[in-house]
Amino acid sequence: MFSTDRGTYTMTSYQSQLGEGAGIAEELAESQRAISIAEFFEKNKHMLGFDSGARALVTAVKEAVDNSLDACEEAGILPDIYVEIEEAGDYYRLTVEDNGPGITREQLPKVFGKLLYGSRFHKREQNRGQQGIGISAAVLYAQLTSGKPAKITSRTKGGGEAEYFELIIDTDENEPEIDVAESAAWDRPHGTRIELEMEANMRARQQLRDYVQHTAVVNPHARIELREPAGEFKFERATDQLPAETEEIRPHPHGVELGTLLKMLDATDSYSVSGFLQGEFTRVGGTTAEKVIDNFRDRHFGREMAWCPPRAHEAADVEAAVADAVANKGREATAAFAERVAAAAGDRDRIAHHELVAVIDDAAEGIEAEFDTTFGDTVRENAVAAAWKTITADRESDLYAIVDGATTTRKDDAGVRGMAERIAAKFERAEDDRDRLTRATLAEFVRKSAADTAEYDDVTFGETAREKVVDAVWDVMETVPDDPPKVRDVADDRDAASELLEAMRETDIISPPTDCLAPITEDLVLEGLRKEFDADFFAAATRDASVHGGDPFIVEAGIAYGGDLEDGGSIEVMRFANRVPLVYQRGACATTDVVKTINWRNYGLDQPGGTGMPNGPAVVMVHVASTNVPFTSESKDAVANVPEIEDEIELAIREAARDLKSYLNKRRSMEKRRRKQDKLATILPEMAEKLADVTSREELVIGDSLARIMSNVLIDREVEGDTVRLTVENNADTNASPELTDIVSAQPRDTDGASVVEMDDEWFVKWEPTVASGEEAVLEYTVEGDADFDLSVGGVADEKLTVNA
Amino acid sequence: MSTDTPEADAEAREQLIDLAEEFYDQFASGEVPRMTIPTRTKSNIEYDEDKNVWVYGDRKSTRSAKSVSGAQKLLKSIYAIDFLARQLKENRSSTLRELYYLSESWDLDEAQFNDQDESNQLVEDLEIVSGVTREDFHMRPEESGATLMGPLYLREQTRRGEREIHCQEDVGEGGYQIPNNPDTIEFLDCSDALIVHLKGQPARATRRITKRLHDELDLPVVVFTDGDPWSYRIYGSVAYGSIKSAHLSEYLATPEADFVGIQPEDIVEYDLPTDPLSDSDVNALESELEDPRFQTDYWREQIELQLDIGKKAEQQSLASRGLDFVTDTYLPERLGEMGVV
Repeated sequence: MFSTDRGTYTMTSYQSQLGEGAGIAEELAESQRAISIAEFFEKNKHMLGFDSGARALVTAVKEAVDNSLDACEEAGILPDIYVEIEEAGDYYRLTVEDNGPGITREQLPKVFGKLLYGSRFHKREQNRGQQGIGISAAVLYAQLTSGKPAKITSRTKGGGEAEYFELIIDTDENEPEIDVAESAAWDRPHGTRIELEMEANMRARQQLRDYVQHTAVVNPHARIELREPAGEFKFERATDQLPAETEEIRPHPHGVELGTLLKMLDATDSYSVSGFLQGEFTRVGGTTAEKVIDNFRDRHFGREMAWCPPRAHEAADVEAAVADAVANKGREATAAFAERVAAAAGDRDRIAHHELVAVIDDAAEGIEAEFDTTFGDTVRENAVAAAWKTITADRESDLYAIVDGATTTRKDDAGVRGMAERIAAKFERAEDDRDRLTRATLAEFVRKSAADTAEYDDVTFGETAREKVVDAVWDVMETVPDDPPKVRDVADDRDAASELLEAMRETDIISPPTDCLAPITEDLVLEGLRKEFDADFFAAATRDASVHGGDPFIVEAGIAYGGDLEDGGSIEVMRFANRVPLVYQRGACATTDVVKTINWRNYGLDQPGGTGMPNGPAVVMVHVASTNVPFTSESKDAVANVPEIEDEIELAIREAARDLKSYLNKRRSMEKRRRKQDKLATILPEMAEKLADVTSREELVIGDSLARIMSNVLIDREVEGDTVRLTVENNADTNASPELTDIVSAQPRDTDGASVVEMDDEWFVKWEPTVASGEEAVLEYTVEGDADFDLSVGGVADEKLTVNA
Repeated sequence: MSTDTPEADAEAREQLIDLAEEFYDQFASGEVPRMTIPTRTKSNIEYDEDKNVWVYGDRKSTRSAKSVSGAQKLLKSIYAIDFLARQLKENRSSTLRELYYLSESWDLDEAQFNDQDESNQLVEDLEIVSGVTREDFHMRPEESGATLMGPLYLREQTRRGEREIHCQEDVGEGGYQIPNNPDTIEFLDCSDALIVHLKGQPARATRRITKRLHDELDLPVVVFTDGDPWSYRIYGSVAYGSIKSAHLSEYLATPEADFVGIQPEDIVEYDLPTDPLSDSDVNALESELEDPRFQTDYWREQIELQLDIGKKAEQQSLASRGLDFVTDTYLPERLGEMGVV
């Protein structure tokens, strides 16, 4: 029922008028007209994400929200989306409202009839729609389970009154129908509201909430509200920056499959394969097209064997043979012709049949001009045949050299000779006199010859040796100049199309452009995580674009750690494809696999056994953006294990994890320091007290000792008359660069190089000294009369600072 | 080595409080309190030519309050100083083990000792830093059980007054119990050879009385042990001083003491029944080869021989030659060789 072509189910917003989309529709159109759409849906609902009441609700929300987001973004509107789920008797009512551009009556059937009218091709663009079958499936599901129409309210931007529609799909005719259309009152200035009643349940409540929350994380530009029977959630907007607009790109020759290629061949306006390649694919210009076509020729026509022409002194004489073959053309002209052909052929190391034809045509034309005689087709053909016979008279010694060269291990000479002899015989006996054959035929020649050689000469040519011989022979064979078949012939010939596809794949072609992708970007990943998780630390990484098959992709990763995140169990992994959360099939996803293979202990997370899901209060998010995200199955819940993508996922996670590691290390050393400080803060005062006791002396003040003990930066203030002196003593092992800001209530003078700013009768005196380990810096200024001071110090962690000022 | 007088107590107490004053001053001047003591390892002992004993060398280690463990050590030291000063003031005494248990009663957990080794070591540290011996702190070890037997007539200061004791006639089969502070003994007369039963690695009191017997009664001292590395260390601490208490070597060591055996050479010569050397025996022998106290030709030869034959023998193995072999043959021969008899 479903084609396995990648990305066949695609869609963009239902509010856009583009009719790209579903292969399902196409299949339906081709073969399913006979059965009703209801039946079709029933048969395939597991693939469409409607196999249970719980999942149906999640899928419907997902489709509706994805569509709303796409619609808003395409119109350049910051999305504001409201999702509500209510119990309605035996059913659930799902309402999704957005502030998108709205939809007109004319667009309605196209949008909701997507399942029925698909467009032909997959659109090479990063869009959310790749993930789903579309809102139309939800409409159909709702209608089939509750019998109620979809209720749609919409107001287009600047379009006056809102309109209200009720839409049902006529399952007999397989056509969407608008039952009710009237104007309505609606408070949104523009947007669309869809209301569906369906058989459902809330057993997947957590997935539903996760889906909406995760959507909010990767769409920090959106404001989303979810209201369901057991709770209300608001996800606020964190940025006003809309995702960069993505551009549609043509497919890359390495990224198409046979089915797609056939459709493209069928639909193109191009006449020639070269034009088709250059017109329909990205990164294909004239030169690349020619390379592809040469490879296509090799497959389609085969190559011609180029033989070493006999040298002048050899017995087989091209000149004599040609001279003999030409009759009635005058002695001189004939001799001159034969001589030229022999010379031109003899100039070459090797000559293939089509090259000989060219040589003879060339010579014939020259002679015709010079001698004023006609060398017609028959004469030329005779000459070609005679010369070719001479050239191919001794295929065996030619092949002997090639086979010998290709056989690295010292094969028995008789075996090499036997092999050459047998291959030569096969060329001799071949139907095509031009010694033209495909690689497959050549391989067959070699295979059979090897079998005979093994039998008669008792010399074995193993698979590798045979392969080398085939390579060596194929290498000297020449691509033929025949015109490739025209596009329409290829389109009608599945084998030829397959040959073309192989040729495309074999040819080196630069990677597709990557500007068609819109990553969330590092900053916004951080924003998204920050707004949804109350954590202590956030890290994000956006990789450069890479390519798998013919599709560019970008991987991004983010990590949130600590704070209010739940500790004690596995970390949470959030997976996204083109900004859409993947909720189901976590275990089958490449993302999850990669997270499990990373040694998280290196990055400071607990990982029992050193492999598998790490533990800790952390969330890891991975976003794969691509013009074609490869999924494990049609339900599009899990990213497939494509090595290139896995590598990038790993690199992205590791990049973010490195930041996590240095954060955790720092935190640990600060914790250690704090523990030490705490411990010493209990021990030292006790020590001081005991000492005062034992020695019967006065109580000790130990602040300065404590600062030195803690290797801290110690800041003391001394006021002597009008002079204020701040001493910065660095007891640490490394340089310290504290930023001191003394807020003084009277005007300071002679401020020792400080920057002074006055604000509301307070003077902010600021220094940034760098103090080497074990050194001290003295900062001085004068101030008249009584002044208040308030010193704040930045640039040094609190744990490493003691301020007595 | 000390006498128990009110003046000596006051002196000891003052030394301890001086130490506390030092810490106090360091704190008061904003410095990090610290205590410097000689490094107490075998790599830091050296021979004192004048006194003929091994003492600590110049290497020092500093215990500073910069680290949690250093601060904890110092805190414990100050608590111990407080305790000892009080004990001296009240003219009481206690045992090392009691000090360890006593620390449990201190209100601050950080000041409590983790084990008795720690408290023992701390008292030794205080001895070294203050220059006062632990006996003068009124700290006693537990009885080591070492005894003395022979025609020695002495006068001992006991809690029950002076007693005059003959160490052969006035004692039971077990012999005369060496008191913890042998400096309270006055030797009156000695008519022949004495046996000091060391009971393993000799306690300070045992070594001290041995030294006094040699110094005051002019008795030659010979050490007769098993033929294994641990026994050589026993001889080492009698003759050269121990590493742990090298600061007291002058009072405790008897450099003139000689080693009788069993020597590895004897094992070969008398073909004694043996046990093979264990891994720890071999390690101990190798470590002795690096021990500065054993850097003599004699010891190097003997230890290398023993490593070579890979065997050790007990004193009692001499009985394989007959019960009288020790007294009739071995000792006369050895002591003759050594020029003692």
